[in-house]
Amino acid sequence: MSDETCPGVAPEEPAAFRRERSFRLASVSWAMPALIFLLIFLVLPLLANIARSLPLEDPFQHYARLLGDAYYLGIVRQTIKVPALTAVACLIIGYPVAYFMVRHAGRWNALIVFLLIAPLLTSTIMRTFGWTVLLGRRGLVNAWMSDFGMIDKAVNMVNTEWAVYLGLVHVLSPFMVLSVSSVLQGIDRRLEESAQILGAGRLRVFLTITLPLSLDGIATGCILVFVLASGSFLSMLLLGGGKVTTLSLLIYQQFTLTQDIGFAAAMGNVLLLLSLICMAIQLRFLRRRGV
Amino acid sequence: MMYDLVSDHPAPRRRKRFRWSRILLAIYVLLFLLFLLAPITAVVAVSFSSANFIALPMPGLSLRWYERIVGYEPFLQSLIVSLEVAAISALAGLVLGVPAALWVARDRGVLARAIMSLMLAPISVPAMLLGFSLLYLLSAMTIGISFLALCITHTVVAIPYVARTVLAVYRSLPVEYEEAAAVLGASRLRILFDIVLPLIKPAIFAGTMFSVLMSFDNLSLSFFFGGAATSTLPVVMLSYMQNQFDPSIAAIATVQMLIAVLALGIVNWIYGIEKLTAA
Repeated sequence: MSDETCPGVAPEEPAAFRRERSFRLASVSWAMPALIFLLIFLVLPLLANIARSLPLEDPFQHYARLLGDAYYLGIVRQTIKVPALTAVACLIIGYPVAYFMVRHAGRWNALIVFLLIAPLLTSTIMRTFGWTVLLGRRGLVNAWMSDFGMIDKAVNMVNTEWAVYLGLVHVLSPFMVLSVSSVLQGIDRRLEESAQILGAGRLRVFLTITLPLSLDGIATGCILVFVLASGSFLSMLLLGGGKVTTLSLLIYQQFTLTQDIGFAAAMGNVLLLLSLICMAIQLRFLRRRGV
Repeated sequence: MMYDLVSDHPAPRRRKRFRWSRILLAIYVLLFLLFLLAPITAVVAVSFSSANFIALPMPGLSLRWYERIVGYEPFLQSLIVSLEVAAISALAGLVLGVPAALWVARDRGVLARAIMSLMLAPISVPAMLLGFSLLYLLSAMTIGISFLALCITHTVVAIPYVARTVLAVYRSLPVEYEEAAAVLGASRLRILFDIVLPLIKPAIFAGTMFSVLMSFDNLSLSFFFGGAATSTLPVVMLSYMQNQFDPSIAAIATVQMLIAVLALGIVNWIYGIEKLTAA
């Protein structure tokens, strides 16, 4: 404790040794309340849920139904497809925005960050509902289109698959932009400049230097968007009109209508499995980066 | 800038092309920001509509939908429930999450890693599954659908937001501050309150603010616990929307937004928002 040297000028002292002696404010008991709380209210319910999905008389009946029945298998497929397409759409739409923020925005960067975060102050219901206001039969888009003579009769753009993706991309694209821009920020610009000096065109610099170096941000953003999209049901419920059903929406409907508890539990576990796979992929990425 | 100085190519021509792509990109970003704000603006606009139905452009302006939500009891009652749950769960998240994060941040053992993963896990568990499983567990504990159950559920999700920011900031602090205080004879409690907590205050504020916003907006967890007295605002809004379709939803959504903006404004006034985003 009576260490008179500071870490910068004490090279003879091995780092591991220092850490062992260094002062510890908190002891393990400080973590116990959180540990106990989470064991009871996070681990226990999830374990109980696994037990609930495996009834004694025929343990795998719910999973067999979920993965054997064509209808339910289609829903499982949608639960992978919709979040995956949403992540890709968010990436394509969000990447240029992140690139602009880091490379060109300058003093406007703070304002753009603010505008990206500001929607979080509104409820997801408000943001999703906003699209029905804009796209509904009596919505603004219909009014404009008929003003310009593009349509004779109001077109219902809500309750379509497109509307679901629109709602999801709208809510989730800021997460993608922020994930990508935080990684872009860390790229050494001299690498791009060197490539340019050596004669590479702008597109080539982007494709061979900038894009590969930002892969970590892309992966983080995609996984984040995927997990958030697979957990949400609001966009499907309010904008899908029954055309897009994912597991989250089905759990919501099963719970409010049929109360088939064991089956809902099994669906929840399949959802959990999906997000565990995402986490495993993310861990691999982090490990590759050496964190 | 730099490549202009060293480039062999005729600089003016390239710079012009460069600027065009930049302007196009700027226009694209502007369109993207409009896309983000469009539905929110539309909802605020519709809340002042005089029509019985949701239409844009509106036939006229009025404040009748704001009168309606003041008169419609479930909206106000659930708003209060939402505010209470957000405050209590954020506070509980702080009390549980901050001390644990302080220990985990400075320990490299297996237990610390396990506790860290456990604290961050609620973000990755699908909310529908968590709400559903907790409902049955809490029912078995005879606290089923109650205000307490709602608070416990939201606390589970508040912990990761608080722990994440505190972990990141506390890890970046050199341990020497605390060591110096200990050498000078300060007690652990004094070091905690006089040194560590002031230093990690931005992280605590940011984490709390985020968990409050997430709780305020949460639907997937809350709707499992929606009894007569325990429905949060999003739950009531959703069930209202499935029965009626009038601009009062727009009005209550606008009120909800104003509360969040106001809360953020107060935090900014007391503390300064740029310090929050630094965390």
